[in-house]
Amino acid sequence: MRPKAKMKKPENWFPTVKRIWGYLREREKGIVFVLLMVIVSSMLGLLGPYLVGVAIDEYIVTKDESGLLLLLCSLLGVYVFYSLSTWLQNYWMIGIAQHTVYRMRSDLFYQFQLLPISFFDKRKHGELMSRVTNDMENVSSTLNSSVIQIFSSVLTLVGTIGVMLWLSPLLTLLTLTIVPLMFYGMKWITNRTGKLFKEQQSSIGELNGFIEETISGQRIVKTFSQEEKVIGEFLERSERYKRSSFWAQSYSGLIPKLMNLLNNLSFTIIAAIGGYLALKGVVSIGVIVIFTEYSRQFTRPLNELANQFNTLLSAIAGAERVFEVLDEREEAQDEKEASVLRHVTGKVEFEQVSFSYEKEGHNTIKDVSFHANPGETIALVGPTGAGKTTIINLLSRFYEVQNGRIMVDGQDISNVTRASLRSHMGFVLQDSFLFQGTIRENIRFGRLEASDAEVVEAAKLANAHSFIMKLPDQYDTVLQQDDSGISQGQRQLLSIARAILANPTILILDEATSNIDTITEVKIQEALEHLMEGRTSFVIAHRLNTIQQADQILVLEKGRIIEKGSHRELLEVKGFYYELYHSQLKGDKIG
Amino acid sequence: MIKLFKYLKPYQLFIGLALFFLLVELGVELVQPLLMAKIIDEGIMQKDLSVVVFWGSIMMGMALFSFLGGIVNSFAASHVAQSFGYDVRKRLFEKVQAFSFSNLNKFAASSLITRLTNDVTMIQSTVFMGLRIMLRAPQMVIGGVVMALFVHVQLALILVIMIPVLVFFLVWMMKRAMRLFKGVQERLDQVNGVIRENLMGTRVIKVFLRKDHEVKRFAAASDELKEKTTASLRFIETTMPVLMLIMNGGILFIIWLGSEYISTGDIQVGEVVAIVNYAMRITTSLSILSWLMTVVARAKASADRVNDIVDTEIDLLDAKETGHIGGEYEGKIQFDSVSFRYPGSEALVLKNLSFTAEARETVAIMGATGAGKTSLFQLIPRLFDIESGYIYLDDEELTHIPLHTLRKQIGYVPQEAVLFSGSIRDNIAWGKEEASIEEIMLAAKHAQIHETIMQLPKQYETTLGQKGINLSGGQKQRLSIARALVRNPKILLLDDSTSALDLKTEGKLLHALKKGYSCTTLIITQKISTAMEADKILLLDEGELVAIGTHAQLAETNALYQKIIQSQFGKEGLRFEAKS
Repeated sequence: MRPKAKMKKPENWFPTVKRIWGYLREREKGIVFVLLMVIVSSMLGLLGPYLVGVAIDEYIVTKDESGLLLLLCSLLGVYVFYSLSTWLQNYWMIGIAQHTVYRMRSDLFYQFQLLPISFFDKRKHGELMSRVTNDMENVSSTLNSSVIQIFSSVLTLVGTIGVMLWLSPLLTLLTLTIVPLMFYGMKWITNRTGKLFKEQQSSIGELNGFIEETISGQRIVKTFSQEEKVIGEFLERSERYKRSSFWAQSYSGLIPKLMNLLNNLSFTIIAAIGGYLALKGVVSIGVIVIFTEYSRQFTRPLNELANQFNTLLSAIAGAERVFEVLDEREEAQDEKEASVLRHVTGKVEFEQVSFSYEKEGHNTIKDVSFHANPGETIALVGPTGAGKTTIINLLSRFYEVQNGRIMVDGQDISNVTRASLRSHMGFVLQDSFLFQGTIRENIRFGRLEASDAEVVEAAKLANAHSFIMKLPDQYDTVLQQDDSGISQGQRQLLSIARAILANPTILILDEATSNIDTITEVKIQEALEHLMEGRTSFVIAHRLNTIQQADQILVLEKGRIIEKGSHRELLEVKGFYYELYHSQLKGDKIG
Repeated sequence: MIKLFKYLKPYQLFIGLALFFLLVELGVELVQPLLMAKIIDEGIMQKDLSVVVFWGSIMMGMALFSFLGGIVNSFAASHVAQSFGYDVRKRLFEKVQAFSFSNLNKFAASSLITRLTNDVTMIQSTVFMGLRIMLRAPQMVIGGVVMALFVHVQLALILVIMIPVLVFFLVWMMKRAMRLFKGVQERLDQVNGVIRENLMGTRVIKVFLRKDHEVKRFAAASDELKEKTTASLRFIETTMPVLMLIMNGGILFIIWLGSEYISTGDIQVGEVVAIVNYAMRITTSLSILSWLMTVVARAKASADRVNDIVDTEIDLLDAKETGHIGGEYEGKIQFDSVSFRYPGSEALVLKNLSFTAEARETVAIMGATGAGKTSLFQLIPRLFDIESGYIYLDDEELTHIPLHTLRKQIGYVPQEAVLFSGSIRDNIAWGKEEASIEEIMLAAKHAQIHETIMQLPKQYETTLGQKGINLSGGQKQRLSIARALVRNPKILLLDDSTSALDLKTEGKLLHALKKGYSCTTLIITQKISTAMEADKILLLDEGELVAIGTHAQLAETNALYQKIIQSQFGKEGLRFEAKS
């Protein structure tokens, strides 16, 4: 797993930049145009103050009115084109940047679709979400403004120094004396702030973490009457943050002050020494005016470059995290010779299947063999971690078998395409996942081409029709994420309807009724029986009463099948299942 | 926003200090072009070197002075902002701690969290910037105009006319841009919504082979976002070129008019240069102003969200008569025709409920989801106030018992086990801070979690939560039971808290409760096997008490109860029941 540090410095920025460039290149012509415009606007930006100086020297001091008018007109032209070129470069760059971000986001989303389940099992949703949102946002805003700014800062800097040298090498030298001062001062400040910011970051992280935890558990705090205790702990953390933040902010606040000082100093140097030089007749008044303006133009890009550099680094780090997902290994592609699995009857066989989630860990399941005839119901029973869900994951090829083989209708499933295999399977899981959208859309998700009538038919079979009709908009009721409008049980009925509509040959019910109270369960049981009719079904359930009718019950412990048989047979063996069954019947009276 | 300013009051001195030095800085900057004009007009034009040197060294001295002022300003501003943030945070946190449950219901936890974290930080940094640089831009604009007027009235009049127009233009652009960006935000939420769904429903999407459908759906949302973002950004990016064009045009006009005045001898060259210089500085400040407006707008939104919390009225008041402080209670609970609805909702959750749980009795509560079981539980620690009827603890009305005293009697184990980061020991002791390690271990043993803990690498010192290990659902439940038990409560409330436990463990737990604690126990449960152990079973349906009695009585007489037995044990089970 990656560390979660937000402001991580990019490890290897060159390949990342190259890849971003790969996206940008799709709009190569636009980029060339933008860069051209940046050159134009930077040049015009330099020309403006220069012409102002000329106007003062050549025309105002000499009182040449017609010449002045002409110059002002050309100056107006310069300003108009300056504004126009900045506008154009922004206009195009925004288009290019948004297109690039769009393409990256699409690639990322497409990649999510291709990644194997194991990828998602290993990661937190929040962490992945932040890659698509925060990291992409970072890239987006940097592309929008920083690219232009960095380029034009460099150009302006070079151009300014060039023109200044041409006008008066002596004054230029004087202006440049503040550069070492600036670097020294900046270094002094950043040396101090680096450590301070780290402290501030960790203390605010801790404070926010505490707030998050306490407010999430606020109900517990209140019921246990522990308000004073948490306030005390909160203040302690808040105090620590205040202290560290004070120093960090105070020092970093010095940077603009320093820049200000340097600006003022260079202004003074130019005015005083320039004045002296003008007296000697070495430079003109106009040159001094130009220099005062240029000296501002000269510190500004330096400052900006320093700022942009930080955002650039964080954007590259963000892009790196995005690319990291893109580089994840996709769900293994289907073997080239994989065939399409058509019309199956639903015969499923496991032959000595072993599997482990970690490469060198102990096996999660070991030598599991059984076989299910078409239409049979197979129940998987056993304590948590016994390997029940793993068996399901292997059968649906979310994970690949490491030893042994699984056959459907006599065909090894590793030789058929995943899509065709899954098209014969239906799932009802413990967490009845519904999408934002109408009820109709959610049921139809099982088979997109199903007609409205078929959707209703499926809902009826699932015992969902009657409650749907009671909703304000019936089948068009929009379900929201984490909606409390319909109950847990009703959600499960909808996911059963979805499975019925998909009409699978092989059905998988993984703890389908665990989240549901017993009274509601009675209703769902009936719907499930409809669903299981004529299909090969695999049922995982905690409550044993739900599986007594199964044709075969596989009792698993630590990855092995320890008992196998029907409910009656297993009761007669008086083994693990017998104990489990009776403990559920009588509670603690056993043992 | 203004409302929050009262938290700035204690720091008036430092605010004054910060603002004073900000003005010093600004003053220096504004005087500079003037001094420059003096150097040109009185020094260079008159060929007087001493004037150049004199004003030059004055400028130098002022620059250094302003830097010193800047340092003081930075420290003062930072002190004010940090202390202000600290105070607002404290006020908010304490307020939330004082919230009643119905207050809490009004805010989603995640929204409360952002308000306490991001929003406060946002306001705090706005205050900081305000004291450090923000006020500078408007001050610069105004000061620049004033100084220019001081130099030459007619020429500066151009600026006086132009600037209000430009400010108006900026405000108008900002307002429109805000609206546009709101649209962008909505699109962004949509895109994120699709992604979140896809991450959560990966399995379902894969098994239903809906990849292409989802890709198409995403592309549509993402495309909309792209279009909207592009349009908004392009709109806002026209601001600067237009602003520059107008200001630069103004400068040209000043130069031209200036040359006219020079020829009539009304003004000197240096003064024109000075006004041009002011105009340029104003241009820079105006562009900063547009950025400031967005910052302030965002800070205002944050301030409103913070004020929502501060202004919330706490609707559950502590008992005034403190008759029984710290008194010993037996634990008898009596409900007398209690009706209850959640504040702001219409439907009654509990209707005319009456029952008595004698001290040290065990009462099981059953019913379907939504029958009102958890609501009934929440009334006992007085997390909500009832609408009508009475609840008594040992014949004393709940509203007459101070909340702290009342809740001290109660050990509550909620449906969902909420643990805090910290060690296991801390988590159990959370129920009773002064608990000794022996007490903690005893509670853990009774909660059937001691053995599991001893198998962990650091046992009771094992860290839980984000940085530590993760426990299974059942283990969390048992820990949260231990946390309630360590308080040695007079009333124990178990809200379906044993659902993730297997039956053997649950049995042991109930046995330990009965033996080790003399408390009244109320258990919400789905399992008949648990209910069988209780002295009394309450059967709720849609907020009404439909039956009350022992297991044997209900199995005999109540149809609903029989149905539950059947669903759990099958027909066979019912027979089995009848026999035992």
